Amino acid sequence: MKKTNRGGSRFLIGLMFLFLYLPIFLLIIFSFNAGDSSAVWRGFSLHWYSELFGNRLIMESLYMTLLVSLLATVISTAAGTFAAIGLYSLSRRKRDALLVINDIPMMNADIVTGVSLCLFFVAFFQGWGAFAKWINGMQSAFELPTRLTLGFGTLLLAHIAFNIPYVILNVAPRLRQMDRNLVDAAQDLGCTWMQAFWRVILPEIKPGIVSGALIAFTMSVDDFVISYFTAGSSTSTLSMAIYGMTKRRITPEINAVSTLLFLTVLTLLVIVNVREARQERRSASMEPRKLTWMEHLAVRTSGPRWKWVKRGAGAAMACCFVAVVMFLTGATSSRPVVNVCSLGEYIDTDLITQFEEETGIRVNYQTVESNETLYSLLKSGGADYDVVVTSDYMIAKFIEEDMLETLDYGNIPNFELMDERFTNLYFDPENQYTVPYTWGTLGIIYNTSMVEEEITSWSALYDDKYAGNVLLINNSRDALAEALFYLGYSANTTDASEIREAFALIADANRRGVFQGKVSDEVFQKMEGGNAAIATYYAGDYLTMAENNEDLAYVVPEEGSNWFVDAMCVLKDAPHKLEAEMWINFIASTEANLANMDYIWYASPNREALEEYPAYYEELYGEELDQETYEIMAAPPEVLERCEVYENLPPETLQLYSQLWVELGT
Amino acid sequence: MEKERGRIMSKKLISLADCCMAFDGELVLDHINLYFNDSEFLTLLGPSGCGKTTTLRIIGGFLTPTSGEVLFDGVRINDIPPNLRQVNTVFQRYALFPHLNVFENVAFGLRVPKTETVGGRKRKVKISEEEIRQRVLEMLEVVSLKGFESRRITELSGGQQQRVAIARALVNRPKVLLLDEPLGALDLRLRKDMQSELKRIQQQLGITFIYVTHDQEEALAMSDTIVVMDGGRIQQIGTPEDIYNEPKNAFVADFIGESNILDGVMHEDFVVEFFNRKFKCLDKGFAPMEPVDVVIRPEDVDIVPPEKGQLKGTVTSVTFKGVHYDTIVDFKGFKWLIQTTDYHPEGETIGIILNPDDIHIMHKSQYSGMFGDYSSYSEEYDELEDVSLLEEDGEDEE
Amino acid sequence: MKNKRSLFAVPYVGWMALFVVAPIVMVVIYAFSAASGGFTLEHFASMGTYASVFTRSFWLALLATLICLLIGYPAAYFISREGPRFQRVAMMLIMLPMWMNFLLRTYSWMSVLENNGLLNRFFSAIGLIGLVNGLFGTNLEYFPMINTQGAVVLGMVYNYLPFMILPIYSVIEKMDGSLLEAARDLGAGSGRVFWKVILPLSLPGVLSGVTMVFVPSVSTFAISRLLGGGTQMMLGDLIEQQFLGGAYNPHLGAAISLVMMVIVVVCMVVMNHFGDGEEQAVML
Repeated sequence: MKKTNRGGSRFLIGLMFLFLYLPIFLLIIFSFNAGDSSAVWRGFSLHWYSELFGNRLIMESLYMTLLVSLLATVISTAAGTFAAIGLYSLSRRKRDALLVINDIPMMNADIVTGVSLCLFFVAFFQGWGAFAKWINGMQSAFELPTRLTLGFGTLLLAHIAFNIPYVILNVAPRLRQMDRNLVDAAQDLGCTWMQAFWRVILPEIKPGIVSGALIAFTMSVDDFVISYFTAGSSTSTLSMAIYGMTKRRITPEINAVSTLLFLTVLTLLVIVNVREARQERRSASMEPRKLTWMEHLAVRTSGPRWKWVKRGAGAAMACCFVAVVMFLTGATSSRPVVNVCSLGEYIDTDLITQFEEETGIRVNYQTVESNETLYSLLKSGGADYDVVVTSDYMIAKFIEEDMLETLDYGNIPNFELMDERFTNLYFDPENQYTVPYTWGTLGIIYNTSMVEEEITSWSALYDDKYAGNVLLINNSRDALAEALFYLGYSANTTDASEIREAFALIADANRRGVFQGKVSDEVFQKMEGGNAAIATYYAGDYLTMAENNEDLAYVVPEEGSNWFVDAMCVLKDAPHKLEAEMWINFIASTEANLANMDYIWYASPNREALEEYPAYYEELYGEELDQETYEIMAAPPEVLERCEVYENLPPETLQLYSQLWVELGT
Repeated sequence: MEKERGRIMSKKLISLADCCMAFDGELVLDHINLYFNDSEFLTLLGPSGCGKTTTLRIIGGFLTPTSGEVLFDGVRINDIPPNLRQVNTVFQRYALFPHLNVFENVAFGLRVPKTETVGGRKRKVKISEEEIRQRVLEMLEVVSLKGFESRRITELSGGQQQRVAIARALVNRPKVLLLDEPLGALDLRLRKDMQSELKRIQQQLGITFIYVTHDQEEALAMSDTIVVMDGGRIQQIGTPEDIYNEPKNAFVADFIGESNILDGVMHEDFVVEFFNRKFKCLDKGFAPMEPVDVVIRPEDVDIVPPEKGQLKGTVTSVTFKGVHYDTIVDFKGFKWLIQTTDYHPEGETIGIILNPDDIHIMHKSQYSGMFGDYSSYSEEYDELEDVSLLEEDGEDEE
Repeated sequence: MKNKRSLFAVPYVGWMALFVVAPIVMVVIYAFSAASGGFTLEHFASMGTYASVFTRSFWLALLATLICLLIGYPAAYFISREGPRFQRVAMMLIMLPMWMNFLLRTYSWMSVLENNGLLNRFFSAIGLIGLVNGLFGTNLEYFPMINTQGAVVLGMVYNYLPFMILPIYSVIEKMDGSLLEAARDLGAGSGRVFWKVILPLSLPGVLSGVTMVFVPSVSTFAISRLLGGGTQMMLGDLIEQQFLGGAYNPHLGAAISLVMMVIVVVCMVVMNHFGDGEEQAVML
């Protein structure tokens, strides 16, 4: 009976595993791809594995992931074990009540746990800030840090918080099964409670502790959502790094690092399983059992010689604790640091290394996907940046809300090199706060192999002809501006009816299925891979895409478009203002601007750099820079003429924008 | 002291003075006064919930009495933790360490480093591996488990586990061994074997055994002294013979062996009246016309033809018990249990004769009237046995 | 002795108060307060605007849960009938994918499902697309798979399937074999044994599996972003947008979180009502 069914059931189990492992095999296979695509095979290579060790972002986030996971696992395993023992000595009613609370982090959606912890930490930091100021005002013997932010400490606490319940859940049944008299028996035989704990309780509940620790570690490594809300800006786990990358293009180094992790775990599991199987076989054959390592350890470490070892271990644990506390309070920054946040992948990373080498200041470089996201991040207290790079209208908003620090231009001599076209603009008329970073236009990118005609108007975005092939830009300001331009209105209109009309245009197209999706930096991979025909994005990014797909074309539509200036500014109360200004000055230099222009294809506001770039290009690549390319990058006056700069909109209008944008999703 | 006559006289080792124990305001031990002699086999006997296990745990150091004193060799030990007491315990279900083999279980107590104060300085004392080995093997020999050293606990039978538990407790050379219903989980045959084994070990080592059980047969068979407990109080202390022959009250009479307990009136010394008849007895010292409980053991009753009997009754049921028949006889609505070797069929009318030494007189107590009538005869204590294990557990939990 | 040991619980009770209870209290406070401070119910009043997000989230999560159950139950059942060795290896293989970051695994599906992705290339290589065009007179260059609801559900099923299998498996595996023998002894055929004995007894596992798949599905935001292309907005996306996304409004986000949390509590109550299955659920 069973025999006949087994073949069929095994086939089904096999199918399920194929489903589970197919994407994983793909990831592993493409980690050996010579090209950087995750869909097209260009031959075998170990290139990405060697590349991996040079990728700072990945290596740092890998290190962070392992550090946080290990620390969280160790701490939560120890704490969870003791908590379980404590819970089991309580009366049943109390224990059950506490276990319900214990279950909350496991049963709650990750996002709720993450959000609630984020709110809690931020509220705590605010309270702490007031408290520290009060204490500092009261006395002068020591100074408490007043500005705490999300970071390693909060990330670790969050991981511990969601790991402990899993440990308890695994240890508790073991405790329940354990004969209560065992501890009495050990004490009866001369053990103190601690000795009984080490010699009897621990070996008894060991399997529970081990599986609890394993689950905790797995959960920690795999976690993304909770980390995302509690890590803040300066700390990034592998998951967060990958999330950042999925928006644009996953570099195969990530495949490589994941493959290595995966294979390590696989090997470990195989070893453990083989050992277990061997042990089972041995016990089946009634062979005498040797002492386990833990008993050996307990027996061996009971002598006086081990006293110093134990003390050392205790001291090390205490040090760890102190270190964590110091991390939390941000008191570890012995080496000067500057925290920079930028839009997208928006810098030549060699510049970072160069700056670090020149000044000895460590650059903590982070990216956000849009101006609005940056604003949210700053508002929610999740960020501790010094320098941010953001767009004109957002700078106006920042200034309005008193979020920026005035710059000491004495520290930024390179500001003199900026073209007047990009200074003293409406958002910073006195030019007290900003140094321009890049400028450019918004336009339509389309794939000439998929679009027959030459596109000149925004109308193409809403055309049924391209249904399912248009990518809508995933930020309300740009998306609505495009529709406003098309309708002939100003992108800065505050007239609700005009905005609603523009929104109706988008919503209608959305309903008709014109849009394939809403994208930010995902647009790179979609357009380069030929997965969509039409998208809107920024000129510089188009040039990057065009490098990888020659069929792509760019146009600033005839109805007009947005031209923007992105600028660097320093946040209020930035802890590293001087370093921040050094960084800004470095980036404003002609050399840096040339390198950056070449790397990100965005036009520089630096007068010399803008002029010298064609020559620089020729020297570097040995060929002339195409005039058309140059004009896309640095739009000529006649194009700029029909373009408009975004202004900061009044709060009511912004609220309308947000509301409409959410509505579009519903 | 009269009530404890016959108890072997030697040094007092442990005494409990006025001990009370309350859990959640409920009095579990009610002013217990008790002493334990050196080299004595003493049994705490009583139904579940009587406080015997609590008493044992107080001696073992797992509980601290709410009030009263525990003295060891005259020194107060109320606050000495169990690991520092020269007392070891054999637990109810052995509590052997499942992660250790037989040898390591027995060696457990020897491997624990002990702190000793020598010349004002604390130092850790460790027993050499050689000595451990020697002592463990010696002890395994005492409990007849030689050759089982490397067995896993799970591979042992119940009786073997029992022996390991005893060896483990004895290897530390305690002055007192506490045994908490150690034979409860064994089957009848094994229990009998282990009883004589335990007695032998106790005599061989010459140390004090304090044994807790609810099984009166076990208590009678092994003990030098039996302490009968109920409701947190000591009901009687004495040798097995005393307890059986001279129960102090209806509870003891009923709990130790089978008995028929009747209401009677003591007319004068040596004359008691029950069933409206006067009988001669051997007891004296009661107030004139004092109402008393009369105990008649079922095996003491002689059955005679009806016309020759002092009392006449009708047989209502007969059960064959191997050595004898349990015969229930109805005397004017009161049912007696009589154990005889002769068969009397149901419905037969019989007479009985009671000799003066078959009649035991007890003062009335709170237990009067609760036992005695066999109209609902059943194997009540056999049923209780299983229940008691669970109930004592429940007591431990809180 | 006991009092001493229960002291171990004290730090944890403090910890839970700080890191479990207090954060949730924060969510409640935020949900009921206006941006300018003060008590308000406006966030809950405006919840109606997002009704379609709620229904979509629940619908897709329900669908994913159902599919997980349909795949996971037989899988767990079949595995539990194999030998101990097979079982151990199978369980290991089910846990193992968690070691490949879930975003990456999801991303991998992206490259499979893209219009120009592996699956579409495969279909056009074997002529399937041409065949369909020929049969139905359509003019497809590819099968649209990415950025559809189907893709989102696929992502959910793929990521959360192990959470369905593990609890069901652990319940079935622990089932007393003599029960099944007793059922057979009483004359039940294998189908009857399954429907009348195994299925009812494994219900606690099923319920905890359902919760463990449904809760993360309904609240996901990365999966819907990657495979839904932002067109299939789910509750998770909505909440994320309010905190770290484009539409900064943590009070509204807290209110939505709270509503979702209430739903989770209801799930838990329902589950506890049916049986005490959650303890085995997360055991290895």
